[in-house]
Amino acid sequence: TFLPPQLLTGKYRDTQTSITDSSAVYRVGNDKSANVTLIDLPGHESLRLQFLERFKAAARAIVFVVDSVAFQREVKDVAEFLYQVLIDSTVLKNAPALLIACNKQDVTMAKSAKLIQQQLEKELNTLRVTHSAAPTSLDGSGTGGPAQLGKKGKDFDFSQLPMKVEFVECSARGSKGEEGDADFEGLEKWLAKIA
Amino acid sequence: MLDFFTIFSKGGLVLWCFQGVRGPAATAPVNALIRSVLLQERGGNNSFTHEALTLKYKLDNQFELVFVVGFQKILTLTYVDKLIDDVHKEFRDKYRNEFQQKGTLGLLNGTFDFKDDFMRLLRDAEESSRVRAPTVMKTFEQSLKSQKTVKCMIETRGEKPKEKVKNKKNKGSKKEGTEAVAAPGKASAGDKQPSAAGDRAELTKDEILQKNREEFFKRHMKAGEKSRSPKPEAQKEKGKKPRVWDLGNSNAKVLDYSNSATNGSADAGPVEEFDTDIALRDRNREPGRLYDLEYESEDEAEEEKVVQNPSKPSAKKGGLGGMFGMLKGLVGSKSLTREDMDPVLEKMKDHLIAKNVAAEIAVQLCESVAKKLEGKVMGTFTTVTSTVKQALQEALVQILQPQRRVDVLRDVMDAQRHRRPYVVTFCGVNGVGKSTNLAKISFWLIENGFSVLIAACDTFRAGAVEQLRTHTRRLNTLHPPESHGGRTMVQLYEKGYGKDAAGIAMEAISYARNQGFDVVLVDTAGRMQDNAPLMTALAKLIAVNAPDLVLFVGEALVGNEAVDQLVKFNKALADHSMAQTPRLIDGIVLTKFDTIDDKVGAAISMTYITSKPIVFVGTGQTYCDLRSLNAKAVVAALMKA
Repeated sequence: TFLPPQLLTGKYRDTQTSITDSSAVYRVGNDKSANVTLIDLPGHESLRLQFLERFKAAARAIVFVVDSVAFQREVKDVAEFLYQVLIDSTVLKNAPALLIACNKQDVTMAKSAKLIQQQLEKELNTLRVTHSAAPTSLDGSGTGGPAQLGKKGKDFDFSQLPMKVEFVECSARGSKGEEGDADFEGLEKWLAKIA
Repeated sequence: MLDFFTIFSKGGLVLWCFQGVRGPAATAPVNALIRSVLLQERGGNNSFTHEALTLKYKLDNQFELVFVVGFQKILTLTYVDKLIDDVHKEFRDKYRNEFQQKGTLGLLNGTFDFKDDFMRLLRDAEESSRVRAPTVMKTFEQSLKSQKTVKCMIETRGEKPKEKVKNKKNKGSKKEGTEAVAAPGKASAGDKQPSAAGDRAELTKDEILQKNREEFFKRHMKAGEKSRSPKPEAQKEKGKKPRVWDLGNSNAKVLDYSNSATNGSADAGPVEEFDTDIALRDRNREPGRLYDLEYESEDEAEEEKVVQNPSKPSAKKGGLGGMFGMLKGLVGSKSLTREDMDPVLEKMKDHLIAKNVAAEIAVQLCESVAKKLEGKVMGTFTTVTSTVKQALQEALVQILQPQRRVDVLRDVMDAQRHRRPYVVTFCGVNGVGKSTNLAKISFWLIENGFSVLIAACDTFRAGAVEQLRTHTRRLNTLHPPESHGGRTMVQLYEKGYGKDAAGIAMEAISYARNQGFDVVLVDTAGRMQDNAPLMTALAKLIAVNAPDLVLFVGEALVGNEAVDQLVKFNKALADHSMAQTPRLIDGIVLTKFDTIDDKVGAAISMTYITSKPIVFVGTGQTYCDLRSLNAKAVVAALMKA
C-alpha cells in the first residue's frame, strides 16, 4: 500500500493497513502516452484471496511485493501466497507478466533479490508436494489434480512457469531516510516495458 | 486529552492525522484495531482497547473512510462520540468534491488541511461536556422557586381561608410524611419558604412539599403511567382535606403546580406563559391523558422526547417513503440507512440461526455487516436485499479464510529436518470423534510417508487403549513395514488405565525422539468444558509438553454449545499455563460433517470465536473420510435458501 502513492506522486504518505483495494492510473515513462492502471490489493490473510479473485482476470501484470527484511522469517507464508497466486487457473491461462519486487532494500538486513529467488524456488518445490498431498476439499475440487507448477521430476525453477518472471530490488522509502526519494528505477523500467 | 485522531481511507492512505498530548506512533494501535475488529467482522460495538489506549472509530461507507480517535483508557471522555460525528460531517462536506470526482488520485493529490476545523470542533466538544451538568440544576432550582412564589400568590387568593384552616390541622402529620419522602434538595426549598409572609407561607410550604413529593415520584419512576399512580396518591392525601369542599378545583390546582414545575425543569422559558395560559386552561380540562403525555416527555428526560418525536414523523414519512424508496431502490442511487437494512438483517439472522449458527454470533455478524453498509451508496438496479446478502457472504468467506497457514505437512517436514517429532494434541468434549479422526489423520500421514507414534493418554474411558490398538493393527496391515523400508509406520505407546495423562505424553514424546518417529499424535479423554479438575489436567498436559499443534475436535452437529465449549477450553488453557504466552487452541477439526446436510453453521461459530482455522473436516468413519475446508462451498450452502 505504500508503493502506489510513491510511484504516482513521488511524495511520502503515511499509510495504514488497507481493507479494500484502491486503483489509480499511472502514466508510463515520459514520451509514451501509454497509461497503466495500478490496483493495490490488501495483503491481510483473510482478504487477500478474495481480492485476488476479483481482479485476477483483468490483470495484465502482477507485481508481488516482498518484504526483504522479514523474508527469512516469513518465507513459508510468502511462498504459500505466491503458490496460490501461481496455481490459480485463471492466472496460468492468461500468464500475465510477474514481477517480484523485493522491497525495503534500504534497511541493512535486507536480502538480495538473488537470494530471495533461490529461497522461493526451494519453498515452492516443497509446497508442490505438500499441497498435492493435502486432503481434498469438501466438494471434491482437489488441489493436486489440475495444476502442477513447473515440470514434474525436476526441481522447481521460475523459468518453468508459462509467464515471464523477473526479480527487482526496490525501496519505497529511499536510502536517505523518511522523506527521501524512493528508489524505483527497476520498477519503473519494468512498468514501461510492459505497458 | 486525546492521544491522536486519524482519518484514513479504506485503501490504506492516511488522509489526516493529529497527534495529541502524548504522541506515540499512531500506526500500531490503529493497525491492531483494523486487524482484530474490522477484518474479523467484530464491528458491532465501536470501541476497542489496545494496551493503554481506547480507540473509538466510525466508518464512512459512502466514501470509504475510517475515522479513529484514541485516548487513554483510564480517562472517560464523554464528548468523544459527538466529536467523531461532528468531524465526520465536517470533513465529508468539506472534501466532498475531491472524493467524488477524482477517486484515488484525488485522495493522493489533495491536501487535507483540516487542523483548524478540528481544533475548533475539539474545543467546542470539550466545553460542551464540561458546562452541561451544573447549569441544569441551577435553572431547575431558580424556576421552581420563582414559580412557587408567584403562582401560590395567584392561586390561593380565592381559596386561602378554607385551605388554610384544614391545612393547619394536618400540617404536622403531612409534613412528616412529605419530608420523609421528599428529596433533600426539595426539603431545603420547602424550608426556605417559611421565611416568607405568614399564612401564605404555610400554604405555600405545604403545597411546595406536595409538589416536591410529586416530582420526587415522577423523577424516580420513569413510566408516565407509574407517575400517575403516585400522583393520585399524593392527591388523595392532600385530597383528604380538600375533598371536603372542592375536589375538582384542588385537583386542578395540584396538576397546575406540577405542570409548572416540570415546565420549569425543562427550561426556564415557559415560566411566564405558565401563569396565564396553562393555569386557566388546566382548570377547565380534566387531568386527562394528553396532559400526562405532555409533561411526561418534558419531565422525564430530553432523550425520551427526542426519541418520541422523530419516531412519530418518521413513521408518517415511512409510509410515503416506503413506496418511493422501493422505486428509488430499483433505479437510482440510494444510500443505505439503518431502517432499510433492519428487516433484511432480521431475516438473514433468522436464516443463519436456522442453519445452526450460534445465536449470539449471528447477532454480532449482522451488527457488523450493518455497520459496514451504513451510508453506502448502492448502484443502480440493486435492491437492499441483494446488497446485504452480498456483504454478508463476503463477511462469511472472510471469517472462514485462515489467518495463518494450514499446511500440516510442511510443518512436519520442518520438524523432520530438525530431528524432533511433531506433536499434535487432540482435545474436545466427550464423543465428538477424537479417536476416530486421530486414526484418519495418522492414515493420511502414513500415506505421505511419515512415521507416526500414537500416544494413548486417554486413561479413563474403558476400551480407549484397545480401540487405538485395533487402529494401529489395521493401519500396519494397510501399510506393512516392508513397503516402507523396514520401518513400522505406526506404533502405539500406552501405559494402561488410571495413570497420569501428562506423564504418559512426556514419555511418549521422548520415546519418539529416540526412535526417530516423525509425528506424535496424543489422544486425550473427552471432558466437559465445565468440569474444572479435568480442564486443569488438560491444561497441564498441554503446558508441560508444549505440542506443536493443539487441535480442538468439535462436531458439526453442535449448535450454541460450540461457543461455550471453545470459550471455556481456551480460558482453561490460558489460566493454567505458567508461560507468558499461553498455548491456546491452534486449529479446529470439524467432525461428523456428513450427518448435516446443509446446516453448516457450526463451522462459522467455531472460527468466529477462536479466529483459528479449520484444519480438517471429518466426513465419515472410514480412513479416507478426511477433507480440508472449502470456504466458498460452505458459505454457499449457508446462504442457500
